[in-house]
Amino acid sequence: MSAAVLRVDRLRVAYAHERGVVRAVDEVSFELRPGERLGLAGESGSGKSTMALAVLRMIKPPGRIEGGEVWLDNVALSGLSDAAIRRLRLAGIAMVPQGSMNSLNPVVRIRDQIADALADHGSLPPRGALTEQIHALLAQVGLPPDVARKYPHELSGGMKQRACIAIAICLRPKVIIADEPTSALDVVVQRQVMQTLGQVQKALGAAVILIGHDLGLMAQFVDRLGIMYAGRLVEMAPIRDMITAPRHPYTRMLIDSLPSLDARGTLRGIPGLAPLLRELPSGCAFHPRCPMAVERCRSDKPAVREVALEATVACHLA
Amino acid sequence: MSSRMTASGAPPLIELRDVSKTFASGILGRDRKVALEPFSFTMDVDRPGIIAVVGESGSGKTTLARLLLGLVEPTGGEVLFKGCDLRRLSAADRRDFRHTVQAIFQDPYEVYNPFYRVDHVLTTPVRKFRLAHSKAAARELIEQALQAVGLQPEEILGRYPHQLSGGQRQRIMVARALLLRPRLIVADEPVSMVDASLRATILGSLRKLHEAMGISILYITHDLATAYQVADTILVLYRASVVEAGDVELVVKDPRHPYTQLLIGSIPKVSTIRDWAEEQPATPAPVTGPGCKFADRCPVRLPVCMEQRPPLYRTAPRRAAACVRLNSDPVLAASDFSRLLSPGPRAPRVPAELEPVMVVNASGGEATPS
Repeated sequence: MSAAVLRVDRLRVAYAHERGVVRAVDEVSFELRPGERLGLAGESGSGKSTMALAVLRMIKPPGRIEGGEVWLDNVALSGLSDAAIRRLRLAGIAMVPQGSMNSLNPVVRIRDQIADALADHGSLPPRGALTEQIHALLAQVGLPPDVARKYPHELSGGMKQRACIAIAICLRPKVIIADEPTSALDVVVQRQVMQTLGQVQKALGAAVILIGHDLGLMAQFVDRLGIMYAGRLVEMAPIRDMITAPRHPYTRMLIDSLPSLDARGTLRGIPGLAPLLRELPSGCAFHPRCPMAVERCRSDKPAVREVALEATVACHLA
Repeated sequence: MSSRMTASGAPPLIELRDVSKTFASGILGRDRKVALEPFSFTMDVDRPGIIAVVGESGSGKTTLARLLLGLVEPTGGEVLFKGCDLRRLSAADRRDFRHTVQAIFQDPYEVYNPFYRVDHVLTTPVRKFRLAHSKAAARELIEQALQAVGLQPEEILGRYPHQLSGGQRQRIMVARALLLRPRLIVADEPVSMVDASLRATILGSLRKLHEAMGISILYITHDLATAYQVADTILVLYRASVVEAGDVELVVKDPRHPYTQLLIGSIPKVSTIRDWAEEQPATPAPVTGPGCKFADRCPVRLPVCMEQRPPLYRTAPRRAAACVRLNSDPVLAASDFSRLLSPGPRAPRVPAELEPVMVVNASGGEATPS
């Protein structure tokens, strides 16, 4: 087995709430190989974005990392100082946060926003070389050089998202975490941005974690997919297995809820609602919505089991 | 002023006549942006249908919805409600319009006042339009509406907006629209901010309302896959004009316009893994002149495309597309556009499980149950 670039081991994140502690990420473990594309999908509130923030140790109070460890190239992140973690963000693990195209500073030119990122990590090249480097970065994400002089409002949504990807890759990170990078874009632009992300990732040899809830997008982009429900990673498998033979009933229902273009009248939702984390059902958190639930699901919490090569699932019936 | 009459002899519920919208911005309004090119169509209530308007951001689809709702005034042409210009409705007609045509917007967060319980958005229309004679009757009406969209009234009433999920809040908006027994619901991206698992449920409840109560729905979206599932008829907008329109089955299964083809090819599907075609690299040739607006991105562009804007060609009785490569088909007459969009004749629907508790007569007042 090739060495993992990123290893997340039984990670737990909790938020202090007036009615007790709420666990947003519950014992999540997975490995990411160099150059691999991993998807994490789930409904809103399933803990997928919190997981990404926890990997970067960016959880703010009242939240805290309760336990578990994240290893980047066999370095345990919990042992690093705040300064070292700061250096590691962007340089080691870069994040394209949710709605990042709206997080660009509106009064700073794209050029200066990229230069800021470089300067912050002490990687600012001399003046002439800087312009060249910025143009090269923009070219890598398919943007013309004149974008460097522009302000965010002069760019379209797709161009802003590409600019964010350019910032994310400016220090050649080993891991890129993209949190719903295309959720505000229409399908044509979405496809272009995802293809750009794929090309950039290949060129850098970086691994990608793609967070989202569109399984169709996952099917087009990732190698392996993990499904999160109520803070737990309930299933993980290579994308083809996951789509053609899902093991967890929740995964099956997520796939079935996608609108099909093949036959009309096949629209099916998942009955019920995602549970509140502070009032998690007993046993398997999915059992109230699960059409296959048996008595055991109400009382025993299913453990995550390895059921095939690279495939894990947390379900009594799988 | 003669308005096109429907089969029943009454003017159509909504008619757009050569409606266009241009937004002016910049110093002295010198930057002009055409949001919608002149556009005509009619929605009859005697033939209820679900029409999807699909397009990317900036295609003019939201402008179309806002024009139809009277939220923006057209730059040219007129929007008629039962034959009267929306800008010149009498107080009574305006009230009727606000009753008969309902809107559901994209953001299920912004429409609520966080200081009021969610009951407020449901009791207000009941009060304003005097839908019930007593408190008990009002409560009953509200509970029925909530149940019709798959919500349990006891889980919803008395709560504040922040205590409910986005999906629940959006379904309350559907219930609110339903309370008024409208003839037309304009739904502008009603599920784009909702999880995929809930989208199906909300769209399913819209579809059910249409079938059970004969409500027409204008479903505005950028998501062609949900449009295919929900609508009977589809209208594809690109940069302020219609590029393809007609029966949804025909348009989705066999798109004739290169833009529709690109849209359908870009939808990420689970049925096929890693089959996303690479888009032809777009040759930067911005079309500012008289040419086809899609010419700069079109993979099958001809020289003539840069010079002439193609009209809509009628390629089948219930569909048309604006591409010069289809010019062996007849040009669609403007007056035939609405016919293209109206669903084929079918038996009048009998209200099934949702028996109207009262009938709204033409003036918008109450009448006795039929």
